[in-house]
Amino acid sequence: MSGLTWHYVFKFVITGDAAVGKSSLLVRLTDQRFLANPDPTLGVEFGSKLITIPGEDKIVKLQCWDTAGTESFRSITRSYYRGAAGCLLVYDVTSRKSFLNARTWLADVREHADPHVTCILVGNKVDLVEEPDGGGTPVLTSISAPGKHRRQVTKEEGESWAREEGLLFVEASAKSGQNVEEAFVRAACDILAKIRQGVFDDNRSPGVKLSKASSTNLVLEQEGSGRTCCF
Amino acid sequence: MEFLSQTYVALRGPTGTPQTPEDTIGRLSDRLSPATLLADRRAAVLALKGLVRDWKQDVGDRALPGLLDVLSNDAEVDADIGKAVLETLNLLCDVEDTTPNSKELGLKHTNQVLANEKAVNTLFALLGYMAFYTRFASLQLISALLQNRRQVVQSYFLKSSAGPASVIAVLEDKREIIRNEAISMVQLLMLQSSDIQKVLAFEGAFEKLFNIVTQEGGIDGGIVAQGALSCVDTLLRFNSSNQSYFRETTFPQALCSLLFFPWKISDKDPAPQDFALQFWDEQKATNAALLLEIMGILVGSKGGNVQEIYTFTRCLTELGLASNAPTKLKSTALRLIPPNITVPLSEMTITPYLPVPETNGEEWDRLEPASALEVIVELALHGEFNGSDGGKQTKNSLELRTAAVAVFENFVRKEEIKLGILQALLPPEDDTEPPPTPPLIYALANTPSTTSALDPAVVLTTHIASILFSHLVRLSPQAKSLARAIKPALQPSEGSGLFVPADGTPTVPAPAADLDEDEPPQTLLQALSENLSLALLSRSRENVTVKESREWDRLVVGYLTLLSQWLWEDPGSVRDFLDAGGMSVLVEQINQVSEDDTLVPALCVYLLGICYEFNQEPGEITRTTLAPILNRLGVDTLVGRMLRIRDDDRFKSIGPDSIVLLYSGPVPSTGRKSDVNDKAEVWFDWAFVDFWKSNYYTIQRGFSTEPDQQSASTGQNVETSMLISSLRDVIQKQAQEIANLQQQLKQTSKTSGNEAALRDQVATLSSQLSAAEEKRKGVEKEQEDLLVLLDEMAVKRRGYKSQLREAGLDVSEDEEDDDADDE
Ligand SMILES: Nc1nc2c(ncn2[C@@H]2O[C@H](COP(=O)(O)OP(=O)(O)OP(=O)(O)O)[C@@H](O)[C@H]2O)c(=O)[nH]1
Ligand SMILES: [Mg+2]
Repeated sequence: MSGLTWHYVFKFVITGDAAVGKSSLLVRLTDQRFLANPDPTLGVEFGSKLITIPGEDKIVKLQCWDTAGTESFRSITRSYYRGAAGCLLVYDVTSRKSFLNARTWLADVREHADPHVTCILVGNKVDLVEEPDGGGTPVLTSISAPGKHRRQVTKEEGESWAREEGLLFVEASAKSGQNVEEAFVRAACDILAKIRQGVFDDNRSPGVKLSKASSTNLVLEQEGSGRTCCF
Repeated sequence: MEFLSQTYVALRGPTGTPQTPEDTIGRLSDRLSPATLLADRRAAVLALKGLVRDWKQDVGDRALPGLLDVLSNDAEVDADIGKAVLETLNLLCDVEDTTPNSKELGLKHTNQVLANEKAVNTLFALLGYMAFYTRFASLQLISALLQNRRQVVQSYFLKSSAGPASVIAVLEDKREIIRNEAISMVQLLMLQSSDIQKVLAFEGAFEKLFNIVTQEGGIDGGIVAQGALSCVDTLLRFNSSNQSYFRETTFPQALCSLLFFPWKISDKDPAPQDFALQFWDEQKATNAALLLEIMGILVGSKGGNVQEIYTFTRCLTELGLASNAPTKLKSTALRLIPPNITVPLSEMTITPYLPVPETNGEEWDRLEPASALEVIVELALHGEFNGSDGGKQTKNSLELRTAAVAVFENFVRKEEIKLGILQALLPPEDDTEPPPTPPLIYALANTPSTTSALDPAVVLTTHIASILFSHLVRLSPQAKSLARAIKPALQPSEGSGLFVPADGTPTVPAPAADLDEDEPPQTLLQALSENLSLALLSRSRENVTVKESREWDRLVVGYLTLLSQWLWEDPGSVRDFLDAGGMSVLVEQINQVSEDDTLVPALCVYLLGICYEFNQEPGEITRTTLAPILNRLGVDTLVGRMLRIRDDDRFKSIGPDSIVLLYSGPVPSTGRKSDVNDKAEVWFDWAFVDFWKSNYYTIQRGFSTEPDQQSASTGQNVETSMLISSLRDVIQKQAQEIANLQQQLKQTSKTSGNEAALRDQVATLSSQLSAAEEKRKGVEKEQEDLLVLLDEMAVKRRGYKSQLREAGLDVSEDEEDDDADDE
């Protein structure tokens, strides 16, 4: 990859109830880490990551704004929807409430965001309900697994609601890293497809930016990381 | 006005009797109701506006709710009424006009406007309209509300959905007046609200602000560019999320290119001349300072990549050391180099410039490239432009020089860098001609002139040299022991810089070469003790003027602060100092103290205390020798004198960032007043003040410790010092062991090559041996056989002999004897 660091910049927002793991997903994406005790987000936090879109040979810079799930920040976080090209709508598979609330979050996004925004519904924390056998589809764990976190939203249920609403869908775990990057990549792919179809002609979406033809960016960043003479 | 009088007339009753203003305002307020015609409402608003000046309270009381209704219902529809109502509200909320109770009324009205979010929402929505006055007056009103009740407006703003976008939109307005107003409103809006800062960054505030700067002509732009840059500053300072976002963009590069500095530059590349030599005026310097501050935020916070940090540090260093930027801007640049500087200044090549005399700063000479470290030391020691202004001791010039000292201090924080520099200052190990003395050492070791008048420029150089050198030795036992070995040859180097230039400037034969050949050259510590003694004598000479005495004091302070930090916890150096006669010099000063002379004696006591405390090596003057002297001076007196330094402004007013003081010495009767006003001076740096404060108590207690007792500091740390010494033993043992093992290893590895050969040899030898053994056994057997044979023969012979004897033949006896002997 010479000449360019990225072909596109996509702005993403991450929303959903408090404590469903939004910040954890972002930290997993950008730093490949998992924090057991992250602080609740106040307002928003920024993070970014370069991803390669498989099969397309395109490099996309994801600029992600991780928003607070706490109700009192709702009005602040809304301001971020308008400028976004992609949205990760996150719930916690062990919390039915967070899944039900996703409807409100989606309504908010629909109200404030660009009509062409790409949304992916992410059921997080699947590591808590992993079926050891992995045989077949997960079912609602009954009392048979006391003390363990119970799955409260089945995969089918999430999938079907996503289909109804025209959202992409994935189950993921910020803790194990499972499907985290995939979630972002799938959303980015969808945005790229929309670009190809001309949905964002003339850069109309504020959340999508084409790289300038100049190659400065890449050279710099490569130089930066490779530089040793400074020490 | 004409319009106003019409309104008055219209409102005057048919009878023509004059009405009270209250009545008028009441009627006008009634007309604000949506039931009236728009034109009437407009007229009423205009009339009210005219009345605010004289009847602010009444208009507020009666008309405010109506005005707010007009604002939300009519302003969007009708630009004229919009303008009028906005201006009226503006007047009502003004806290600084000339009406009585202006402030109180303004705040009261502000509170009413902000009673709910409605007005603020309307105002931000109105920003979205292009009509000039609508935008302009909305901006003014929002600014006024922010001035009065910032937090309330901020919280409404965060809830308003249209807010961020319309703020960004006004930043794009091409009309200058609007843009200026927008910038000052945005400044207020995001003040201390990281949420608003983030939202605005997200909405593209950086892009818009940098566009403004570029459109205004970059740093050559005027006050608008300045405003935009200070908005960028606010968006980034204390906001790590925005900093990460900013780093993602191309704006860090833009910062460099606005200053004409390349984004990519290697250690050895010179900075471009377009950058180094520019035309400067005051506005440009202000803009550039803002740019530098932004670089400072990025370079001083976590998360920058190596490239970014290098380029910014380099840019700051270049501007500070090798440019024609105004002195104040240079200090700003140097101060922004982060304390944890990671870029090695010794490897960065800098090309300084010098103004050609008589060209009024329009022509510049380029000097030889030198390492940034050398240039920094040079700047600190001699001032801007190679000391061509060395005599100038203005606030700005001293700020620059102390900024250079601070960069040096930060750079040598790392032990290995300290030691590396000191190592380079040591005399050469072989017998070669000593190189010219580096300026830093020269300034310390050079004997101050007592014949001609003391040159304040030289004093300052020595004073700063003592601060620089303190940074090299403070709290580092290893550095101190290296420093003890420095033997200045006292040949001033021709070149500038800390180290000797590689090309080797021709060495001038030392003028003081008539030194006795046998006498070992003086160490730096000895030279310092002598200079201290000389300066202390000179300050109290009869014929010295007050002003000159003050210069001597400054010199003394330099020597004493350096010695205190050097001798602290270092018995070896204490021994050297005492052997050089340091004690009597100090005692003499302390003895003849006068009421108004406290600073120097206080420091003398401090140093004497250190000498007592850390006098732990055997020698002529021991603790036991010192104790009676201290007792004669009186321990309480000593402590009292030492502590009096805390009352001295020159000591008291020093802070981490403020060590340059306005000149407070005697005013010469001749010189112009302005000269004195601008004059500044340096007495202490923060590192020393901090050092003094951390250690004075130890010294204070030490004074009253008996000579044979553990000195206070070691007593307190018995455990630690025992631990250290035992660890030191362990380390020594281990080092010895390692050395042994290494030796063995060396030998083994040397022989291991031969081992194979030896083994072969052993094999052949042993086979030879066994062959030989075999042979020997064979021979032995043969011999045995022979013996047996011999024996048989002897027996036989004896038999034959006796047979012969019996046969009567003569047989020799000796043979018989022989045989017997053999048996
Ligand atoms: N087991 C498990 N725990 C997770 C996972 N993701 C997040 N958590 C935990 O869930 C808690 C909340 O995570 P956060 O990332 O702070 O949640 P958030 O959505 O950012 O919360 P707000 O910022 O308050 O909106 C933390 O204790 C995380 O350690 C996951 O995938 N698996
Ligand atoms: Mg969070």
